[in-house]
Amino acid sequence: MSPDIPDVSTAKTRPHSAIAPVGLLVLVLLPLLLMPLAAIFIFAFEGGLSTFITALSSPDAVFALRFSLFIAFATAAVNAVLGTFAAYILSKYRFPGERPLGIVVNLPVAIPTVVVGTSLLLLWGPIGLLGKFLGKFGLEPMFTPFGVLLAHLFVTFPYMLGSVKPVLDELETTYEEAAYTMGASRWQTFRYVILPALRGGLFTGTLLTFAHSLGEFGATVLVSGNLRLRTQTAPLYIFAQFEAGNVANANAVAAVLAVLSFIIFFFLLQYTGGQGRRA
Amino acid sequence: MRNWRSSGLLPRLRSALPIIIFGLLALFAIHPWISPHSGGAAPRAIVLYGFSILGEVMNEGVFPAFREEWRERTGEEVELISSFAGSGTVTNQIIMGVPAQIVLLATELDAQRLADADLTQPRSWRNLPCGGVVNRSPFVIFVRGGNPKRIADFSDLTRPGIGIIHPDPMTSGGANWAVVAEYGAGLRQNPSNPEAGYQLLLGIWKNIAALSASARGARTEFEQGFGDALITYEQEAVRDKARSRFKLEVVYPRRTILSEHTLLLLDHNIAPGERELVEAFANFMWSEKAQRIFVNYGFRSVDESLNLENPEFGKIQDPFLIEDLGGWPEAKKRIIDGIWKNRVLKDLKQ
Repeated sequence: MSPDIPDVSTAKTRPHSAIAPVGLLVLVLLPLLLMPLAAIFIFAFEGGLSTFITALSSPDAVFALRFSLFIAFATAAVNAVLGTFAAYILSKYRFPGERPLGIVVNLPVAIPTVVVGTSLLLLWGPIGLLGKFLGKFGLEPMFTPFGVLLAHLFVTFPYMLGSVKPVLDELETTYEEAAYTMGASRWQTFRYVILPALRGGLFTGTLLTFAHSLGEFGATVLVSGNLRLRTQTAPLYIFAQFEAGNVANANAVAAVLAVLSFIIFFFLLQYTGGQGRRA
Repeated sequence: MRNWRSSGLLPRLRSALPIIIFGLLALFAIHPWISPHSGGAAPRAIVLYGFSILGEVMNEGVFPAFREEWRERTGEEVELISSFAGSGTVTNQIIMGVPAQIVLLATELDAQRLADADLTQPRSWRNLPCGGVVNRSPFVIFVRGGNPKRIADFSDLTRPGIGIIHPDPMTSGGANWAVVAEYGAGLRQNPSNPEAGYQLLLGIWKNIAALSASARGARTEFEQGFGDALITYEQEAVRDKARSRFKLEVVYPRRTILSEHTLLLLDHNIAPGERELVEAFANFMWSEKAQRIFVNYGFRSVDESLNLENPEFGKIQDPFLIEDLGGWPEAKKRIIDGIWKNRVLKDLKQ
């Protein structure tokens, strides 16, 4: 019992001295982050739970959420493979043009998403460079779910790379060399030595890709054609409903997206936190 | 209890949580494709792009009525795939190649742009009923409740100290209607003075407090408390009044234009097998049933007798149409470009 007493006294003085700076931080964050998020939920439930559920169960809202999730899963799956492949090449091979290539694959982080949408339209669209040619064979990737997927793959490409490549760079080459000396093929080495070490990076990268795809707006609005029940993602639905003055519908879906992003963030936090404790 | 925890069930459950949640989300995302109920071909669909204020009436009113009629006639279920944005935006989307089959535009000017881009025959919409016009809405003035600035007509908007919210004619179809409404009202009030239209237009534009990209945007801005008056479609008020959601007041100018909203078909997006369905829906818009729905949603029908059915429609002493100003191609050249852009905007800078 007695050893606890000094602890309690120091614990009492420390929060006291922190009141001013912590209070200031909360005061700044309140209107900046916390209150806007709270507003979504307050307005979503303003008309009661039944209004919220009605707004969410309209065919348009259900489709938009389902389509967004579908695209997010597809984007995460494709970029998990493509991003890991790119990270592996960039990390394990030395070749001329390595640096420019490394910059290009990270470029989507810096390009405004609206520019991504425009550039995709100017390439694949019916009047685009390749699209004009493809159109003759009846192939029109833009304004279809495939066009949306293309845009999301582009925009989220660097997340997987950014999560996996640092791990690969730090991985001790001795294990790989040992595997090779024992007669393992390149694939076997990758499968049994490298991949297990990448689990954390893959997990974080996939979650980041998924979360970003779920919320993507700028590129999607241009390449999707914003057709309800066809290519309208949840963020596009929110914007369209807000524009039309149906704020309740917009808020209901916004609240769901917010909850989904909290869940994803919670997993990320738990994972990185768990790693920190283990280290 | 302690035994249970040390057996590792709880941590294992926690690490399985992401898998469970994402598994459920994935199931939700793909279940229409794997559920046995969704077997069979997807219903045929009509793809419609329209300008913003038509969204509600088309999705909730006109299309469900058409679907019912089509089901009765043929037994087939059809679907409407639609997208609504500002008229200029819709026009640009179509030029970029969205797969629209039917288009509803705020002005014939945007239809003309599609013809200029070789996406439809020049004036193809003129062969449709009523020259392609599906409905109308007069341009009116919204003021604050109680009309504190005592605005009764367009001429009152020229008084000093009045702030006007207006959509931007560079991007909004509604704004083009507003400009010709203002010009035409001046001209008709004083037909002997050829400068009367220009003078009223200049007087109003001296008081513009803010421009907004679309008619909807201008209304939102006005509702946020900016400005004393807003010039926009009557429809914006009528529908809300019926649901007693309208907190502003409508002032009917003595002389104003009735906007006309143009429908056109984009033949290159209509497969031969779909033509009958798409044309049936297009023609349905001029049926008495559809026109009555438009009236219910605050649009004025092309059939004058139906307009008596909505008591919220206000009286206008001297309504006029774009034909009275020589039609859109002429009005665009002479009024929008010649007078508004080249004279009013320049005079305002000085």
